[in-house]
Amino acid sequence: MATVLVDGQEIELAAGERINGIQAAARAGADIPHYCWHPGLTVVASCRMCLVETGRRDPATGEITMLPKLVPGCQTPATDGTVFVTKGEKIEAARAMVEEDLLIRHPIDCPICDKAGECALQDYHFEHGREERRADLQPFTSRRRELGDTVTLFVDRCVMCTRCVRFSREISGDAELMVVNRGAHEEIDVFPGFPLDNKLSGNVVDICPVGALGDRDFLYTQRVWFMKSHDNVCAGCSTGCSIKVEENQDKIYRLKPRENPHVNQWWMCDEGRYGWKHVHDPARLTLPRRAGKDGYENVDWSTLPGELDTKLSASKRIAVVLSPHLTVEDAYQLAKYVRGIDEQALLVQGPVPTEGEDERFPSGFTIRAEKCPNRRGVEEVIVGIAKELVTWDDFLGRLTDESFDAVWVTGGYKTDWNDESVAKRFSSIPLLIVQDVFASPLWNSATYQLPGATFAERDGSYVNHADRLQSFSWAVRPPAGVTTEGQLYWRLRKSPGLYNSRAVRDDLTRELLYFSAAAGGVCEYGIDLKVNLLAEV
Amino acid sequence: MTNDRILTDEMVAEIKAFFPRYPSKQAVTLPALHIVNERLRHVPLQAVVEVAELLDLSPAQVQDTLTFYGFFKQDEPHGRVRAWVCRSISCHLRGADELLEHMCEKAGVEPGGTTADGKLTLEFGECLGACEYAPCVLANETLHKCVTKEQADAFVESLE
Amino acid sequence: MAEFEPVLLANINQDDSHTLRGYESCGGYAGLKRVLGGMSANAVKELVKESGLRGRGGAGFPTGLKWTFLPKDHPGPIYFCLNADESEPGTFNNRILMEEDPHQVIEGLIISCFATAASTAYFYMRYEYPLAWKRVQAAVDECYAAGYLGENILGSGYSLDIFLHRGAAAYICGEETGLIESLEGRRAWPRIKPPFPAVEGAFRKPTVVNNVETAACVKQIVDRGADWFRSIGVQPDPDNPRDPGSFGPKLYCLSGHIEKPGCYEAPLGITVNELIDKYGGGVWKGRKAKAAIPGGISMGLLTVDEFDCPLDFAGPGKYGCLGLGTAAVVVVDETVSMVDFLHNSCQFFSHESCGQCTPCREGTSWALKMMNRIKAGKGRLKDLDLLLEIADNIGIIPGTTICGLADGAAWPMKNAIRKFRGEFEEYIKSTNPDGYQETNPVPVWETIGAH
Repeated sequence: MATVLVDGQEIELAAGERINGIQAAARAGADIPHYCWHPGLTVVASCRMCLVETGRRDPATGEITMLPKLVPGCQTPATDGTVFVTKGEKIEAARAMVEEDLLIRHPIDCPICDKAGECALQDYHFEHGREERRADLQPFTSRRRELGDTVTLFVDRCVMCTRCVRFSREISGDAELMVVNRGAHEEIDVFPGFPLDNKLSGNVVDICPVGALGDRDFLYTQRVWFMKSHDNVCAGCSTGCSIKVEENQDKIYRLKPRENPHVNQWWMCDEGRYGWKHVHDPARLTLPRRAGKDGYENVDWSTLPGELDTKLSASKRIAVVLSPHLTVEDAYQLAKYVRGIDEQALLVQGPVPTEGEDERFPSGFTIRAEKCPNRRGVEEVIVGIAKELVTWDDFLGRLTDESFDAVWVTGGYKTDWNDESVAKRFSSIPLLIVQDVFASPLWNSATYQLPGATFAERDGSYVNHADRLQSFSWAVRPPAGVTTEGQLYWRLRKSPGLYNSRAVRDDLTRELLYFSAAAGGVCEYGIDLKVNLLAEV
Repeated sequence: MTNDRILTDEMVAEIKAFFPRYPSKQAVTLPALHIVNERLRHVPLQAVVEVAELLDLSPAQVQDTLTFYGFFKQDEPHGRVRAWVCRSISCHLRGADELLEHMCEKAGVEPGGTTADGKLTLEFGECLGACEYAPCVLANETLHKCVTKEQADAFVESLE
Repeated sequence: MAEFEPVLLANINQDDSHTLRGYESCGGYAGLKRVLGGMSANAVKELVKESGLRGRGGAGFPTGLKWTFLPKDHPGPIYFCLNADESEPGTFNNRILMEEDPHQVIEGLIISCFATAASTAYFYMRYEYPLAWKRVQAAVDECYAAGYLGENILGSGYSLDIFLHRGAAAYICGEETGLIESLEGRRAWPRIKPPFPAVEGAFRKPTVVNNVETAACVKQIVDRGADWFRSIGVQPDPDNPRDPGSFGPKLYCLSGHIEKPGCYEAPLGITVNELIDKYGGGVWKGRKAKAAIPGGISMGLLTVDEFDCPLDFAGPGKYGCLGLGTAAVVVVDETVSMVDFLHNSCQFFSHESCGQCTPCREGTSWALKMMNRIKAGKGRLKDLDLLLEIADNIGIIPGTTICGLADGAAWPMKNAIRKFRGEFEEYIKSTNPDGYQETNPVPVWETIGAH
């Protein structure tokens, strides 16, 4: 096994593992500052912030020979016998030099910079920089230009790490970004008339280590230190990118990708990134209502479960439509609940929204045509319990021939997902419960209108297109008046206390073979459910 | 930016003739820019777009390379004669700074500028590799050696 | 030692020296015919290795050794880049070879390509050499017509194409990986090494980058033998096992304050004094010399008392300079202010820094700003220490940059200030009598804005 020595501490590498000095040091708990290096991009070793000392340990004698000069940790592979020293006078002097250099022409306008609080230049300067400014130059020019609809460039804040340029060439592939000019006159720019407009554009803001690239959507809306970050999973498409929801007092300000080597690496698409606005849409439905003689009347959440239970229990033939926006736990709870009343209750898969074709980028990152997070998970819950999959279209067809006493439809779609002709098919259903986020023709013809939750408000798990299950907890509370699906179903099933998605997941992983790989728990990168399927074969 | 194409069929053919020389089209960037620059005495943005199309690159990739050199003008053509007055050490020691200043005054332009009549663009150059002839001036393809102020005057006056 | 006879420049004064006819009349391409007629590529490689030839471009890396870094039995293609981006201030020997004797360079290039199994050679020439460009292009055309280039050269089965590639005025393209990046159509930002070009170079294939004069030397070695080459120059230092010696003739460029500036061929190891007196006709206008650049401005400065410095690969280093560099000696006479000298140097490197590595991009720019201020009479003694601090910490030697440009920027600063500190202090005190002791940051001298 390969052994690397970092500041005297031995680090073991797995067989075939290829990591650099920065990564090796991180394992030893040593943080090597860096700007230009990013694990997802080619190594350029140009910022020179990650300079360390390196050498080799002779395997026979144990004697260590060090190189006389500093080397960039990013460029130096950690192999058996490699020695890294990440601390010391020489290294600190080099870091102080780079910090001083980078600040020579930097405006130091942190008080008005969005990046303040999460800025590498700020943090590293605090840790490694000089206390005094020796450069006799006052650089404040504050030039700003828009690179595209999503990203703005504060020219003078840039430290020329070129991460964004490499991203546009290596990951998104449209190569809209460039460096112009040479030497100290260099700047980042786009070619006139060719803005940064690819669907991964927002990522350049994430990878910008300083405040040069600003997210126009987020700009000046919130200081980063006021926000709390919650791990979540993007509900925009069936890729299911690992994300962070960043909010303050239940208001979301931005979504950020969360590293997941099995799903999205370090990236997410703009569709997902900016796809949270509906969470705070004033048109959100917030009151549970019951159809009465004189139109709809409000129902209290405290009495609602009992009322629904009574009505449903009196129904003989029940169908539930399980939206691919539901979590696995939601779908399982609702399915189990209705099957408890009607053993033959029809479990229907809600409409699976698709848009165009899958879009694959040079890096392999893919935006899927399937615009929902949990088609696979809901499908498997249905198949697992009912042994057959009834699609939405099947169901609409069956509505003409079969009669149902009660139908419960779950929605959660961002856009109009049903029309009058669909609603008409449900007109003869005595008990139509529609649980949704926005009003629709179907909603307007419901017996019971139940407001639902959005992705950021739910607890539970999604299964992405590749059978990877990821679990998450709520990031913001739903608007006043809304009870999440999970909580409602929990109460319908008369489970004790508050909704516990983990307990539901434990139940379903025991019951449904497909999910069994998640029985032991789910780590931050999720669980590959195929592991189990392969074993079955 | 206009939709009128700038690259003539002849220029395009000349650029394409470079393709077999290199295993990548991107390598034809500099030759292509030189071809445009020789004809137009500058490389306007539209030409960059067209070169990029030919080379299967984004305009930004070509512009990135182009601006690195500081050689290709973009806003307007340089003069019919583009003269570089060497300012590096050997010429500096032999009076290059004074020569440049003198020539600028004589031609009535700032360093880097083009005379109003479009005859001359006067720029400083880094070492022209003719240090034995310091101070020297490279005007288009002609190297002027050991240039005195009188010779510089005569040069500026002789421009057509 | 017998009287030294120039070989590299032997034919430059003949009529038609730049034409194939002129070249062949002096025995040109006989070496190539011999090589292709019976020598193996390995034998040529060994011959060059044995000669001890070190690269003439500036770094002085042993040429034969560089060739052996190519992967064995590579399926190809292997590329050869001839570095004719000569841009080091004070240097013009490549220009003279290309203008006056291009076939010598091309013959050396073809032999080098044969030795390294390269199938394509890119002749990367700087833009500033229009005459050399025409002559090399004409010479290459002549070679194709004569069967020295193209398919199956002289019936040997070996095929080679040479393509001229024109630069666009950037000093950094002379750095071998900067050259490769420029050749590939990107900005000439030097690459990180490893991988070295011999393993992964142009178009990600094994590549050799050699200087023009190096190629000419290869031709001479093939003609005259390794022993001849080793009979010229300086033997390795017996006390330094890593010194490969400095063999062969070298083209010295002499310029600045010198009576007879020019390119002179002399054995490696000639001293600055000898060069000035024997070839240069003494200091300009009978003045006294003050200092000299030993090998292009990036090598630093020798004071007049150090003119006994031998100009071999190891010599200038012993006098605090960076090295032999391009062996371009620029004489600075006593009338020159070192402040002006250093300002000029800083101006050059700030202009030519490729801008990739932070310490070089910002260091050279900051240094120039300081020199601007000093020159304008707002200098402070503290500035000298700051300049030295920058100089001591930028470059490939301390490890803070990717390529050696920053070392080249640093050495003139180090040498000028350390060797002429009194003059700098005097200048600062006399031009800024009220503020020379100030240590706080001074008010804005030059704002940096749009350019």
